[in-house]
This record gives sequence, structure tokens and C-alpha cells, in this order.
Amino acid sequence: MTRSMRLVAVGLTFAVVFVSVGVLVLSMSAETLDEVAEKFGVRESPVYKPPLPDYEVPGFEGNTAVSVVLGIIFTLLTLLVTFAVGKALRSPRT
Amino acid sequence: MLTDRLVPLMATLTALFFAAQMMNYPIIGGTTAHLLGGPVLGITLGPYAGMISMTVILLIQALFFGDGGLTSFGANVWNMGVVGVFIPYIVLLLTLRFRKDAGSLMAAAFTGAFLGDLLAAVFAGLELGLSTLSFPYSVPVAVTAMAINHSIIGAGEGIVTALILGLLLRVRPDLLSLPKAAPRWMGEFPMISSRAEGKR
Repeated sequence: MTRSMRLVAVGLTFAVVFVSVGVLVLSMSAETLDEVAEKFGVRESPVYKPPLPDYEVPGFEGNTAVSVVLGIIFTLLTLLVTFAVGKALRSPRT
Repeated sequence: MLTDRLVPLMATLTALFFAAQMMNYPIIGGTTAHLLGGPVLGITLGPYAGMISMTVILLIQALFFGDGGLTSFGANVWNMGVVGVFIPYIVLLLTLRFRKDAGSLMAAAFTGAFLGDLLAAVFAGLELGLSTLSFPYSVPVAVTAMAINHSIIGAGEGIVTALILGLLLRVRPDLLSLPKAAPRWMGEFPMISSRAEGKR
């Protein structure tokens, strides 16, 4: 295994731990920005309906196993998208 | 300059902070906060690459989860992808011009991350305050509210950033010495060696 591969493996392991701890252990109460917005009586008026609102799969709301899998899938997607963007933008002489 | 060696680190850290942003930890007042990751991205990759990383995270969150939103996407990229990434990098860069011991670097990492998060919140308050059609409060009210609430997040981000920098100094100092994707006018990022633990 190359050093780069080892780095990616270690990073992904930590990411899976973060996702699992985030979904299973830590609370999901209001974020600070939402708290400030609520204090000022500001309401959301979305112009776009996301496919997975609030990090939940429609029909599986509150299902922690689905949320963990979703988090892991999108962590991998983030890795792949950034890798592709990085490869596209890298200096041609390196 | 974005190099071949930097791309795997960039992809890994972006995925890591995407995951970390899903991890909300409780703070005072019954609210929660999460790491932004901008300081670590900026310090390890350079501010240009860090900005791209944060933009990817924000885009995926907005497109798939409605987190952050599409109409506020540009503002979020400015706040968290530019301010939250460049400020910590600049603070560490300036510190490295004068001191290179591990204690100073970790103090600079904390300060830069704290200031970066705080200024990002101030900009968010400014944007909210100027959104007169949808937000009925003045700029000073919005900025004060955002700054006070987010200073706690900034302190948390500062602690985690300093700890990660300290860990990298001990375990993989080579990752900190990769060429950074940064504006040329900022100059070269000084080499950080594993011997940074000693006094200058």
C-alpha cells in the first residue's frame, strides 16, 4: 500500500467514526445559526427541494442505520468528487 | 500550485471534514455546533485548495441535503470557504516568519482558527443584516448575535485545529511541508520540520 493510499484509508476510517458518532451518539438539537434565526423569528423559504432533506432518506426518517450508511456513502462521494476536481485543477508539470 | 502529492490529501481531508460537519456536539444554551474544518484545510493544503475543498463540501450539502441552501451558496462560500480558510492560513504564515517552535505554531493555529470562524460569523451577520427584504433587524444587531454565539464554535475549532497541527507535527510533518496552493503574493510557506517541538 502506498503512503497516499494509507493516508486515504486512515482518513476514511476517521470519517466513518465521525459519521457514526455524529448519528448514534451526539444530539441533533438546533445548530447555533438556527438558534439565532429562531431568536429573530426568521423562517426558511426554500426555492429548491433537496432529495435528502436534513440528512434523512424519505420514508426512513429516524432510522439511524440508514443515516449512518447515508453519511458513509456521501463521505465517499465527497472524496471522489474532490479527487476528480483536484486532478482536473492540478498543475500539469507535477 | 495544486500538485499530484497534494490531491490525495485534499480529497481525504475534504471527506473527513464533510463527515466531521455531520457530528454536532452540544454547546451552551441547548444548541449544537460542528467543526467547519476551514483552518485545517487552509493550513495543510493552502488557501486556494482549502477554498475548493470547502466549496465541494458546501455544494454537496446544499444540493443533496438542503443544508446551507442554494441561494445563500455564494455567501456561504465567501464566509466559510474564503474567510474561514484564508484567515487561519495568514495568521500561521505570519507567525512562522518570526517563530517556529511547536508551542507558537499551535497557539497560531488556535488563534487563526478562532479568528477565522469569528470573522466568518461576522460576515454572515453582515449579510443577514443587509438582507433588508427578508431580515427585519439592523446590521449591528445581526453581527453581534452571530459573533457572540459563534465565538464558542471558534474556540472549539481553535482547540481542534491546534491539536491536529500538533499531531501532524509529531506523526506526519511532511504533510505540512507539501507545496501549498496559495496566492503568490503571500510568498513561500516556510518549511515546518518535525523538530518544531524545540525552542526557537
